[in-house]
Amino acid sequence: MNLGIRRTLDRVFTGLTGASIVLLMLVLVAVLGPMIYRGSGAVLFGGTIEFRKMQRDLFNRADRAALEAEIAEADRARQVVYDMIDRFKKGIDIATMSSEAREINREYGRELRYRDVASEEYTEAREVARIIRDKLEEAFSSQDIALIRANVAEVLAQKDEARFKGTVAERFFSLATDFLDAAEHIDLSHYHDYLVALDEVEVILFGSIEHPGLLGPRPNQSARPLAMTSYGATRWDRAQALLDRLLWAEKWVEKEPGQPLVKARSPRAALFHDTALEPLFAYVPEHLNEMLRPRFTVYWQFFIDDNFDSHYFGGVGPEIIGTLLITVVGMLFVVPLGVISAAYLVECASEGPIMRILRMSINTLAGVPSIVFGLFGLAFFVLFLFPKLGFEPKACILAASLTLAVLTLPVMIRASEEAIRTVPRSYKEGSLALGASRFRTFVTVTFPAALPGILTGVILSLSRIAGETAPILFTGAVAMGPVPKSIFDPTRTLSYGSYDMAVGDRLAMMVPHNQYGMVLTLIVLILVLNAVAIVLRSRVFKKLKGH
Amino acid sequence: MPEKDKPMPATAAYSQATKSDIRMMVTLGSRSAPDSKSPPAACVCPVIRSNGFSLYYGTKAGVRDITMDIHPCTVTSIIGPSGCGKSTFLRSINRMNDLIPHVRTEGLLEVDGQNVYDKRTNLVNLRQQVGMVFQKPNPFPKSIFDNIAYGPRLQGIRRKEELHHIVEQSLKAAAIWDEVKDDLRKSALALSGGQQQRLCIARALATRPRVLLMDEPCSALDPIATGRIEDLIGQLQSTYTIVIVTHNMQQAARVSERAAFFCLGELIEYDRTEKIFSNPAKKQTEDYVTGRFG
Repeated sequence: MNLGIRRTLDRVFTGLTGASIVLLMLVLVAVLGPMIYRGSGAVLFGGTIEFRKMQRDLFNRADRAALEAEIAEADRARQVVYDMIDRFKKGIDIATMSSEAREINREYGRELRYRDVASEEYTEAREVARIIRDKLEEAFSSQDIALIRANVAEVLAQKDEARFKGTVAERFFSLATDFLDAAEHIDLSHYHDYLVALDEVEVILFGSIEHPGLLGPRPNQSARPLAMTSYGATRWDRAQALLDRLLWAEKWVEKEPGQPLVKARSPRAALFHDTALEPLFAYVPEHLNEMLRPRFTVYWQFFIDDNFDSHYFGGVGPEIIGTLLITVVGMLFVVPLGVISAAYLVECASEGPIMRILRMSINTLAGVPSIVFGLFGLAFFVLFLFPKLGFEPKACILAASLTLAVLTLPVMIRASEEAIRTVPRSYKEGSLALGASRFRTFVTVTFPAALPGILTGVILSLSRIAGETAPILFTGAVAMGPVPKSIFDPTRTLSYGSYDMAVGDRLAMMVPHNQYGMVLTLIVLILVLNAVAIVLRSRVFKKLKGH
Repeated sequence: MPEKDKPMPATAAYSQATKSDIRMMVTLGSRSAPDSKSPPAACVCPVIRSNGFSLYYGTKAGVRDITMDIHPCTVTSIIGPSGCGKSTFLRSINRMNDLIPHVRTEGLLEVDGQNVYDKRTNLVNLRQQVGMVFQKPNPFPKSIFDNIAYGPRLQGIRRKEELHHIVEQSLKAAAIWDEVKDDLRKSALALSGGQQQRLCIARALATRPRVLLMDEPCSALDPIATGRIEDLIGQLQSTYTIVIVTHNMQQAARVSERAAFFCLGELIEYDRTEKIFSNPAKKQTEDYVTGRFG
């Protein structure tokens, strides 16, 4: 081959190597980039006033005086929304209005008795009130605008009667006015549609017992059992999503007969065209800032906080503790076991059919799906071994760690074996020639010299143990529960938590930042653990090299 | 390379030895310091005695029917072409061949009257009696101090002062003390090749052996380092019985008093070095030393 071709080939090879490195880094960025971007949302975000309220109530963490002032400000902005909705309701909600009319009538009667009026007067006043009530009820239940106008006019004719001045009955007239005002603007034959649409708006704005709303429950509403529905949008991005839902109604429509349904968006304001509620859809986006008062928030407590309502609020503190516990306990098993096995394989075992089978088993074990190990752990450690040893046969950290140790044992053995095998023979000979026994030689010379390689095995199994989900599914992980007190308690972990959020329910769709945050925490945790091991390894390596 | 063409007489080596060396000889060795007046060759009863000793790797013979006596306080060199069993025989003396599977021995090999291949032989004691220096310097990846103290610690010596004393004496005896005394905590791997080999010799000396086996100790070193090691061997021969395997015939002529010529696993000739190199009894030996063969 001539020199020119050789040189060209060389260059191509170098170029390919460089390109593959660049590609690898791009892949790394492509994988980690979105993780970091989305995961950091759990810690860095625009926190609204609802977030600060939640922090105050659930974690007892706030500048109370300042927060109270802020809440008062926000409530002023929100009052407009409340008023608009109440006003609109007066024209629509027949059941409520009828019962209100009856209530006014009853109260008026009570008031008359209390005022001790003459009996004829009393009878007459009661009679008039009853007529007003009936007229109103007739108007409420009617869909004929002419009848409504007539009835309301008749009711309002009584407005200037002296006997009603300054009494509860005055509310009849405001009720009548409001109703007529609303009724003039809507198609009464569809009042039911308005009710449904209004209900939707209310759920989006104030939430319901199961849906968190944009602003949270109204001040006079009764408390809700779940923390997640007791507060409005705590995050600005979540608020934007809810605002979008408020402004746009989504509907599945059939575009062509026989075709699959498609989602169609239409402005929700159109549903309330020309009614008292229409301005709401202009007011809310314009004043959302004042109502929620977002502020850039660094929620570093994400890493120490417990969570509420399956990670709707709060952080991953217990998960981090659980992951660390499982990892540490697992490493306590896998490292000694792996090193001893590797030492046996290299130093003591003589090659033969049994060794071949053993080696093959180890290699095969490395390829077994992790869920198999999970079931093995349940069957062997939890159900078989624990009762024999007198432990309670329940999923716990110990069982999970043991299962993970078995899972990563092949990796550990292979890495340690390689490390021990590559220790120069001359080290061993030197030690043996000085009269050291084989055990002593291994402990004082071979093992320290193999330590960097063994630490590589530690790094590999560490990442595996900290990140595995399937093996701990049945052996020690729970989705919720207290922080473990001993290794005989089950625990929450980051890996299982992410899995649970993914399969659990609709929550993960509402709080993807928490899911990504959990995964990012896991990645960072593994990176930190690895970094410690890598620093340790390089120090050992330097020491061995004699620098 | 120092201009040292013939082996340094033991008396000269002894007179060169420092006072502390002598003290060490007294404290370390169970034997008395060699008498400066009588040359080492005058010691009569052999330290290593091999009588019809053979060693087989499976069915292949490594060495066959070796009969030779190695006398105390002499340097004995073993020469011969590659694969002739020099190293095998040397490693048989402290049973380093045990590591190789399927090794079998026949005949008698004694060190200090003790059968090496007896089942009751305490391997630890044997290897402390018979120190070994390898072809490639093989200090442990530990500090200089820990390297030297490795053997004494195996013997159960724990006291700091005692260890320090032994380390100092061993390093002085191996003529490397002055180069490393300032930084005994430094890693042994940071030393140069020649220093490392002298360190290995010091390490071997620290267990107070009677015999020092050297398996081509200079083959990985440059001429200057080789010269240093050869000087050292000259100094040590007054105290230790040294068996050295070498490919370098000039070296054998320079350092040893007696020489054994091995070929194809057999001992061809064993005599005083001058005789082997000037007037060998066997044709094969003559061919080898004159360069006509091998």
